[in-house]
Amino acid sequence: MPTHVETLENGLKVVLRPIPDTKALSTWVVYRIGSRNEVPGMTGSTHWVEHMLFKGGGKLGKGDIDKLISRLGGKMNAFTDTDYTMYFETIPASAMDTALMIESERMRNAAFDPKEVEAERTVVISEREGAENQPEFLVDEELWGLAFHVHPYHWTPIGYKQDLAALDREPLYRHYLRYYAPNNASLILVGGFDPAVAMQHVREAFSPLKPEAPPDPLRLSEPEQRGERRSDLVRPGPADLLSIGWHIPSAAHDDTPALILLSTVLGGWRGLISFASGDWRPRSNRLYRALVESKLATDVGVRQEMKLDPSLLIASATAAKGVSLDRIEHAIDREVDKVRRTPPSRTEVERAKQQVRSWARYEQDGVTFQGMLLSAGEGIASWDFGDRLLAKVEKVRAERIRDVARTYLVDEHRSLVRFHAQEGTG
Amino acid sequence: MVAEGDAHGVAEFASRLLLSGTRRLGAAKLADRLEGIGATLEFHNGEEVLGFSGRCTRDSLRETIRILVDCLSHPTFPQREIDRVRGELLNDLRIEADDTASRAARELARFVFPNDHPYGRDPKGGADRVRRIRRRDLVDFHESRVGAEGLILAVTGDVDRELVEEAIAGPLSRLESDAEGIPAIPPPPPHKPRRATIPMPHKSQADIAIGGPAVPRGHPDYYALNLASLLFGRIGLYGRLGRNLRDEQGLAYYAFTGLDARTAGGIWSISAGVNPANLEKAVQSIRAELDRLQTDPFHTDELRDGKDNQIGSLIVSLERNAEVAYELHRMEYYGLGMNFLERYADIVRELPEDRVREVAMKYFTANGSSMVVAGPVGRTRLSL
Repeated sequence: MPTHVETLENGLKVVLRPIPDTKALSTWVVYRIGSRNEVPGMTGSTHWVEHMLFKGGGKLGKGDIDKLISRLGGKMNAFTDTDYTMYFETIPASAMDTALMIESERMRNAAFDPKEVEAERTVVISEREGAENQPEFLVDEELWGLAFHVHPYHWTPIGYKQDLAALDREPLYRHYLRYYAPNNASLILVGGFDPAVAMQHVREAFSPLKPEAPPDPLRLSEPEQRGERRSDLVRPGPADLLSIGWHIPSAAHDDTPALILLSTVLGGWRGLISFASGDWRPRSNRLYRALVESKLATDVGVRQEMKLDPSLLIASATAAKGVSLDRIEHAIDREVDKVRRTPPSRTEVERAKQQVRSWARYEQDGVTFQGMLLSAGEGIASWDFGDRLLAKVEKVRAERIRDVARTYLVDEHRSLVRFHAQEGTG
Repeated sequence: MVAEGDAHGVAEFASRLLLSGTRRLGAAKLADRLEGIGATLEFHNGEEVLGFSGRCTRDSLRETIRILVDCLSHPTFPQREIDRVRGELLNDLRIEADDTASRAARELARFVFPNDHPYGRDPKGGADRVRRIRRRDLVDFHESRVGAEGLILAVTGDVDRELVEEAIAGPLSRLESDAEGIPAIPPPPPHKPRRATIPMPHKSQADIAIGGPAVPRGHPDYYALNLASLLFGRIGLYGRLGRNLRDEQGLAYYAFTGLDARTAGGIWSISAGVNPANLEKAVQSIRAELDRLQTDPFHTDELRDGKDNQIGSLIVSLERNAEVAYELHRMEYYGLGMNFLERYADIVRELPEDRVREVAMKYFTANGSSMVVAGPVGRTRLSL
């Protein structure tokens, strides 16, 4: 699809994807700041800053963003990831200037009114408490904490409750000033517009913004894991859960395409951004067959976390009533062992590739998903990350899938969390 | 669910088995075929309809429809798959029983639609029912209820009329069932406001669900009530409710309203997730906002914003194929007419302001509402 890319003098990278027949426009800004840039004691600060950027500043009073977008019938939101934070508005294309104004004010002029910062503390804590209600969140938080001892992937973007209770305005505001600058961001526009006209409006809105000194590169890297790590959580809950995480390289690594097919063979594929797939669950994969069809588990999934830094490939399962987590673990071990020993069949590889191909098209459905895909790409590599990856996936051979399984699905390098559900759910 | 009569849970159980094998293909082969062409297909059961949704490319459309028709016409309901789905349903029931939001919402629906009305029932039917359902029940339900009668198909994307008629409409219209007409949905019995607390001491957060009866989709109050619900707790960061509970007091990450208008009745609801220490304050704040609708009804600028939002959202809410297909299906199901989207802006524009205020006062009342709180709370009764 034709895509126009230009970088302003202040360092803001602009990605324009015009779609002539659409009346909608999705505007995204992605900042290269995530929970990986936080330090202990300040966990959750990036996410809290994200919340503060809906509260006005500069030309925008409190509640103005909400009102401006609502009147247009638009939708808006933001997401804080480990590696990036992104904001979006999808609105009628005729209102492009509204979105550009909001995003340019948000980039440098957020108010951080002390009263508002304080009021938001309980909101972010409430968001965390809502997540804590879900056993899957507790397992996930435990797994990342177990697998990463040095790298900030140790904590999740929501942060620890004790940090959220103690943080105050000044470090949050400093965090904002440091990282929210045009040279640490990309602006993505997808929808019904003329690129030349749009570029002119973008220049007017963003060129006056001053850049910051580029952020220092992250110097922390996770040392090689020496031996398997395990954790057992015993808590009230509805079902036993198992989650296994293996260390994998960063998204930009040459092994990523083969790992995508390995993930698909093991657990199916639901696209690069899971938002597009909804509740659909793949069934034509090895773990589904070994665990769900055999009635050991009621649900199973594989997530390849594609990140800036070396990350995890995670297999998770919900145990069927009365089935021990040991049995599930052994069943997963058997499947992992098989794929380490023998390359998948040609049919299996072709099916996996077809899934990846089809999802690459489904994820283009609508300006919002396209904007999200391009932004997530910018957050970890480049806007065309998805397209490049797809081209590389096509070239992967079955033997390569076996090889990456041998390299990365190593027992000594895995972390394992078992959630033992206690009765007593009220 | 309406069609299952007293056989609660059969529709849900059957819907989960439609991808579990046909006379032509077993469950594994079905999955291999579908995913081998990169297509998705899902069946889902609702209060009124059994639905399917799927995604495919133009190249794989014919094969996807062949599989869909096969699943709908000739499912074999293998015993092995029945046992698997039974376990899955029982696990889902346990998971929902441990989820504060699900517990609160489910209990609220039971209060608002009492006496075992289909809108108030858990589609899964409960653990006892799930254990008792047999293959014969599933086969009977399928034979009597899954046919071409009442079937609505919405398709959008890279298709043309010829392809739709030849590859999709033709095969689907040949589906057969024994059904004698589509079962009528009884009107919901009168609602008597109730209160309940569901203690779940191991949770961090409590969920509040408050609500009452609303109107059917075809009711003259529907559009005014939908706008009132938007202004009360949906627009932007959750309308008046969100401004009070989240923005001003920081009591909740979410506090929003919902309006679900169906063929024979509807429900309006408020959902909020709060720290147990803030529960009383949150409930009182919700009460204050409900009361404010009587003393300080929606202002003209609020109503203008709401109308602009609904009219503008026509563009934004229909940007994806799936959204267009869903909307087309809804238009046909509720008899709104295929020109509904062209008429919609005028319908909203012409809503008298006072009518919106009146329906808010009439339906969104504390005394007429039921309330359920699920989470780390004692059995102390909270008053609304």
